[in-house]
Amino acid sequence: MIGIVVVSHSLALAEAAVDLASQMAPPERRPVIRVAAGLDGGGFGTDATAVAAAIRGADSPDGILILADLGSAVLSSELALELVEPDIAQRAQVCPAPLVEGLVAAVATASAGGDRAAAAAEANAGLAAKVEHLGPGDLPAGVLIPGAAVAGPAPDAAALVWQGAIENEHGLHVRPAAALVANLGPFDAQIQLSNQTLGKGPVLASSLAGMTTLGLRRGDVLAARITGPEAAAALAALRELAANRFGEGKKGAAASKTADADDAAAPEAADSAQTGRQIVVGPAQHLAAVIDVSGYLPGDAAAERTRLDEAVAAVLARLQAKAREQTRHFGIFAAQGALLEDPELAQTLHAGIAEGRTAVAIVEHDFAALAHELDALDDPYLRERAQDIRSLARQLTAELTGAEIDVSEAEGILIVSELDPFVASSLNPSRCLGVVTCSGGATGHGVIVAAARGIPVVTGQKEAADIPNRTIVGLDPVHQRLWVNPTMAELAEIDRLAVERRNEATLAAELCQEPAVTQAGRRILVEANIGCLDDALTALGNGADGAGLVRTEVLFADWDHAPTAAEQADSFQRLGQALGGRMLTIRTWDPGGDKPLAFLPQAPEANPMLGERGLRAMRRAPELFHTQLEAVALASRRTPVRVLFPMVCEPAELRWAADKLTQVLGRTGGHVAVGMMVETPAAALRAADFGPLVDFISIGTNDLTQYAMAADRGNSAVAHLAQGEHPAVWDLIRLAAKAFAGRPIAVCGDYASQPELVPRLVAAGATELSVRPPLVGLVKLAVRTRA
Amino acid sequence: MPLNRAGAAAWLAAWAQKAEANVDYLTDLDRQIGDADHGANLKRGLAAVTALDPDGFAGPADYLKKTGLTLVSTVGGASGLLYGTFFLRVAAAWPSQEGDAAGLGAAFKAGLDDIQKRGKAVLGDKTMVDALVPAFAAYDAATAAGQGIGPALAQAAAACAAGRDATVPLIARKGRASYLGERSAGHLDPGAASATYLVEAAASTLP
Repeated sequence: MIGIVVVSHSLALAEAAVDLASQMAPPERRPVIRVAAGLDGGGFGTDATAVAAAIRGADSPDGILILADLGSAVLSSELALELVEPDIAQRAQVCPAPLVEGLVAAVATASAGGDRAAAAAEANAGLAAKVEHLGPGDLPAGVLIPGAAVAGPAPDAAALVWQGAIENEHGLHVRPAAALVANLGPFDAQIQLSNQTLGKGPVLASSLAGMTTLGLRRGDVLAARITGPEAAAALAALRELAANRFGEGKKGAAASKTADADDAAAPEAADSAQTGRQIVVGPAQHLAAVIDVSGYLPGDAAAERTRLDEAVAAVLARLQAKAREQTRHFGIFAAQGALLEDPELAQTLHAGIAEGRTAVAIVEHDFAALAHELDALDDPYLRERAQDIRSLARQLTAELTGAEIDVSEAEGILIVSELDPFVASSLNPSRCLGVVTCSGGATGHGVIVAAARGIPVVTGQKEAADIPNRTIVGLDPVHQRLWVNPTMAELAEIDRLAVERRNEATLAAELCQEPAVTQAGRRILVEANIGCLDDALTALGNGADGAGLVRTEVLFADWDHAPTAAEQADSFQRLGQALGGRMLTIRTWDPGGDKPLAFLPQAPEANPMLGERGLRAMRRAPELFHTQLEAVALASRRTPVRVLFPMVCEPAELRWAADKLTQVLGRTGGHVAVGMMVETPAAALRAADFGPLVDFISIGTNDLTQYAMAADRGNSAVAHLAQGEHPAVWDLIRLAAKAFAGRPIAVCGDYASQPELVPRLVAAGATELSVRPPLVGLVKLAVRTRA
Repeated sequence: MPLNRAGAAAWLAAWAQKAEANVDYLTDLDRQIGDADHGANLKRGLAAVTALDPDGFAGPADYLKKTGLTLVSTVGGASGLLYGTFFLRVAAAWPSQEGDAAGLGAAFKAGLDDIQKRGKAVLGDKTMVDALVPAFAAYDAATAAGQGIGPALAQAAAACAAGRDATVPLIARKGRASYLGERSAGHLDPGAASATYLVEAAASTLP
């Protein structure tokens, strides 16, 4: 017979409940019941060590059922399961049933010979009788009762129950919810799900719309109640789905694992330790650009086709996993995945198989041909894709030949022909000191990923291809300098520079939480540009005075449906919380160009950078814009926020946006400061025209440079114009700042992240600098010492 | 104080002293959104902890483990359980070398992870997690930049207090306060307040 443990805040309550339940069974058929209730001194409370002792006392080979009253009683029971011997813990189960009803039902079932699962099911169904009598109207939302909130069969005693916390990064959004509906649909069972944490539901698991109303976020507890002929099989399927994070990963068992497993799964947290500006010296190591395929044994056409399909599926799965893991760079990996999913590509590959070629040969030649075609195109965006194609070919070839392309063990200074984002994201920053690329500019996706992870990169060094392995090389990412086989004198010089750079970083870190005040006594706010929660935490750790730019299109890049106002407001609240309640500057959706939004499809444009970007795209999708402004208004009641409108050229555009905001605030109340991005020469030249319409401006130097210099940031042929600083851009900055003198003037482009430019920005009138999160301390130091 | 039994004891004593000095304040915070027992509960638990003799244990890990179990047994509410969980985990990960700033950070992080696993609270739920997450993030950022235990803990304490203060506008999603829903907004979370004493006590004793 099973044993039962009663955990309560009150000893009197527990003992009375046991007395009551004992009436259900004759003395010789009563299960062992142990009580852990109240505190030693007689007060209300629960004690996990006492619960552990009770569990040991009630132990039985048939298992132990634990029933608990409120809040910490449940937590104490869970902790107690960790305190007892593992074999005992395995036999024990904490039951979510209400204490009195559950205990009565469990004792009755146990005395009739029911096993632990049966007793648990009966206990969980313990509320049913009351509900049947009183009707569902008297139930608080979220109590799991069949037929209470959804149409369904009458209460069924043979119900199975399950609950577990959602571990998916973004909660149970549409994709995992759809996986749940699809996987549980085939069973002949009624499955009711609810969000235990928020008290929402229950809804039927067959309804995707219903699922989304549960609003399951990460950490929320999903509860299921399953009845019907195939209930057991459905429960097993649900368990498996949950263990696999509903199709989004394999870390399901982590809930019961120790922190070691979690640490390994959270590489991004450690990534922010370095700024990527450090000077490094180490032995060179080439990453082979070409994988040896001479040992490949071809099969027949059918086998080759299967291998190719499997390789594509494996690489796609890996890219999707990367996209989820590298939340900052979701778009980069998602774009590579999309290339691989292109049906036309599959057709081309299969046609090659039909011609009798091997999978390896097709990948090698067709991808090379495609990359070559793209390389030859005028369009710089398509040229950028050529690099993606080569990266995909490499991954597919490795998959087909079994070649090792894992670079996480790479040590020293890695030399690559070009740095693809997959490699950049797989490097171990504590082993790989730096990267040298033979071709490609400083704006490639791989370089961006590496920089964000604190790995210094020097780009476009053609001669690096000939450096023998293990040659000592040094690199300075700030001045893009490379030393090959340095002499003793050079080594001493490198060492001196490295120490200087490191001392600067240390000093910056020590003072980072202090305000940045110029020598003339002006306080400059140094804020961070953020796109995810980790960015916000990094920013706080580095002393940010707030977020000068929240890139909402990055924050929600991996959502395949438009987030609701409440969902967005929740995200903003978390960012604000992570920043210790400092000001968030929320930039409204800025899609277009190189950052599409999945839920705002856009027709291809010949010149996307000159096309429907920022506010322009919002005029086509006003409801999306309206929802975001509602989110800003909602968030403003919980955490300090202001709003920033991107891609403005004329006052009419801004007036349209500001009117929308006024309408929303008219309904919700409150006030939100309004700002505009100054990122077009038109806006900078005529900044005074916008004066009456906004409270502050934020100068985006990257786009301002691109548009003023007529040079594309992604095109390495014009990199000398698109990067670096230019007198024309400085003039535009000064003009805009002069027109807004006396009001907040922020700079959020790359200019602000360069300590050497800080004094000139401050002199031009900037009052706020918003920079990459790891650089906040350095920029603050530059304000104090140079401005 | 060093990272030995005496240092750990000084930390706990400082925490107990802060909690004791503010017992009415904590209880008052808890009265606004909870069951008005946080101050008294914590005072009782910490009195039991400070009554432990650190010299009676083989090392700081054993001492901190007993601290965890004592908190679990004597505080009663969820807070004791969560702080107990924290110390059980911190004890297991306590650095064996003096001055091991990164090791101490790893121990804090492990303890915080277990608090979150046990309580299932995330940032923004208006709990002690809102104070502790930014605190230990600031600590890690400082040690990653090469700073020692002293300055890192000072930054952790500042971030912790900022996180605590930022719980005021939040709507509680965990614990007794979550029963109040919207009405919980506008009050400081008592758990975040006592967690800040914990980190401030560390900053004043462990370096």
